[in-house]
Amino acid sequence: MSTTLKRVHGYLAEFDNPQDLYHAAEHVRDQGYQRWDVHTPFPVHGMDVAMGNPRSKLPWLVFFGGATGFTVAFLMQFLTQVIIYPTVVQGKPTDIYTLPAFFPVMFELTILFSAFTTLFGLLALIGLPRLNHPLFASKRFPKFSDDGFFVCIEARDAKFTKEGTKSFLEGIGGKNIELVEDEI
Amino acid sequence: MSHHVTFQDLPEGGEKFDPARGSKLIGGFAMAGLIGLIGSAFFFFTRTDTFAYSWLFAVFVAFTVVVGACFWILLHNASNSGWGISIRRLFENLANMILVVGLFALPLLVPAVQNPLWEWMAHHREAAHHAHDSGETVKEALHHMAQEDSHLHILVEKFGYLNIGGWYVRFFLYFAILWFIASTLRKRSVMQDSDGNIKHTIWSRQFSCLLLFFFALTATFASVDWLMTLDYSWFSTMWGVYIFAGCAWSSMAVMILLVTWLKSLGYLNKVVTDEHYHLMGKLLFAFTVFWAYIAFSQYFLIWYANITEETRFYLTRNTETWRWVSIFILVGHFAGPFVILLDQQRKKKTRWMVGMCLWILFMHVVDIYWNIIPERGPSLTHGEEWLIPYAWIQDVFALLAVIGGVGFVFLRGLGKFSLYPCRDPRLIESANVVN
Repeated sequence: MSTTLKRVHGYLAEFDNPQDLYHAAEHVRDQGYQRWDVHTPFPVHGMDVAMGNPRSKLPWLVFFGGATGFTVAFLMQFLTQVIIYPTVVQGKPTDIYTLPAFFPVMFELTILFSAFTTLFGLLALIGLPRLNHPLFASKRFPKFSDDGFFVCIEARDAKFTKEGTKSFLEGIGGKNIELVEDEI
Repeated sequence: MSHHVTFQDLPEGGEKFDPARGSKLIGGFAMAGLIGLIGSAFFFFTRTDTFAYSWLFAVFVAFTVVVGACFWILLHNASNSGWGISIRRLFENLANMILVVGLFALPLLVPAVQNPLWEWMAHHREAAHHAHDSGETVKEALHHMAQEDSHLHILVEKFGYLNIGGWYVRFFLYFAILWFIASTLRKRSVMQDSDGNIKHTIWSRQFSCLLLFFFALTATFASVDWLMTLDYSWFSTMWGVYIFAGCAWSSMAVMILLVTWLKSLGYLNKVVTDEHYHLMGKLLFAFTVFWAYIAFSQYFLIWYANITEETRFYLTRNTETWRWVSIFILVGHFAGPFVILLDQQRKKKTRWMVGMCLWILFMHVVDIYWNIIPERGPSLTHGEEWLIPYAWIQDVFALLAVIGGVGFVFLRGLGKFSLYPCRDPRLIESANVVN
């Protein structure tokens, strides 16, 4: 007989359809919870508004990623082809007027750096990849990739209480409310 | 989320524009048109050769905006889009201005206007004159002329396409095709206003898919016939796409300004939302980039290959004052709008978009100017002058006349039908669009 130590992750509540989930999300938002999420099999339009999510910071990262790519491409070509080892190709000048020849690479590197920043910035912001998630401890949770619509309010939220949060989720129409605990 | 708009919220029969409510702007266009026409008439008779360029420039600016409108309705129908139903009628009305533009283009049919503009026509007419005397064909006469002036050989080679008869036929064909597209689609759209039948939507989609092909040919060859042959020895395979990019760009800018103006007068407020601004802003941004891509590609290929008959175009535009205009276009036509339109929130702010669209229209005018007018000095003075002093005054009058005239007729005619297709089955989808 072994005793395993468990940690409360939060309450998981199920809803029947996207409409109910959407309105539930609005209630959770208005209640002032910060640490919570919804889980659906497909994207629900307007859910970010219902959840009160702020604008993502990703566009800023991408902008500076792209600007870096642009600058790097210019410097790499300008320094090597003009400053360090002036290379005459097709009788074109080797000074700043060689610029048109650099543009295809500058264009491509802007896109490449933007794309990389988008992908890796996104992964960093949403915290992926990860090995496991506490919600996988729930038996009902796998339905989220089929026909389940879930709200999960996490225990680390400042407003979370064992009784209060449960009755709140019941009040907004949550079903099969479950206290999810994961092993540590 | 705002209130979900239903058919109950919208007035039956749609909203009809009352020209009296927009009398300030309409009067402004009328005034500009009148002043422009008087000035143009004066210059037309006193300075025909320089004014020919001014008039081509002005007519072509109006032509691009109208062609762009034609493209947007074709694209909207062909791609089965729902978001733009609320603004589709405005595009249909704008595209139907093609007949008015055609009317303004009539002076281009006068030989005295054509000869200074399109030197190949002058050579062809001279050849026709010789042919008449000696009894040979025009092509043979051109061939004889080419033995003395070797530059003309290229005209003999291009005779199959570049001949005066063909030019006239194509001139009328372009306007006929564009008018056919614009009027047919609006007719169907207006029929739906009274019966609400989805049949019209499906029919318009099929029609648009088919006619997009002919539209592309029309826009391409019109720009080849009127602009590219200003220098008959020059050619660029990207020319049609380049002009087309400007068409779609400027037309979308006009649409955003028009929608804002109508909304400020109290129209369209239920069917056009911030989301439409965002969508239109995105397309505007897309074409900012597309134009730059095409413009750079055209420049790049010519710059790299460095072939004498191709580089002439950019050499002219890289000399003296035109050099600064070229740099200004690079910054103002692409870099500025690109950075400003990049931001998502800014595309939803009406003030920003109005400022941006006014700037974009200005840049479009500069772009067309930069494409046509540098040919004027060298052509008319046989290479001795880059610019003809004070000729820009004629350009301003011509622009006032055409833009004022087309704008006046367009806004006056706006009240003829509902401002949006009031019984289109997807109008509600468009009014509540979220992106």
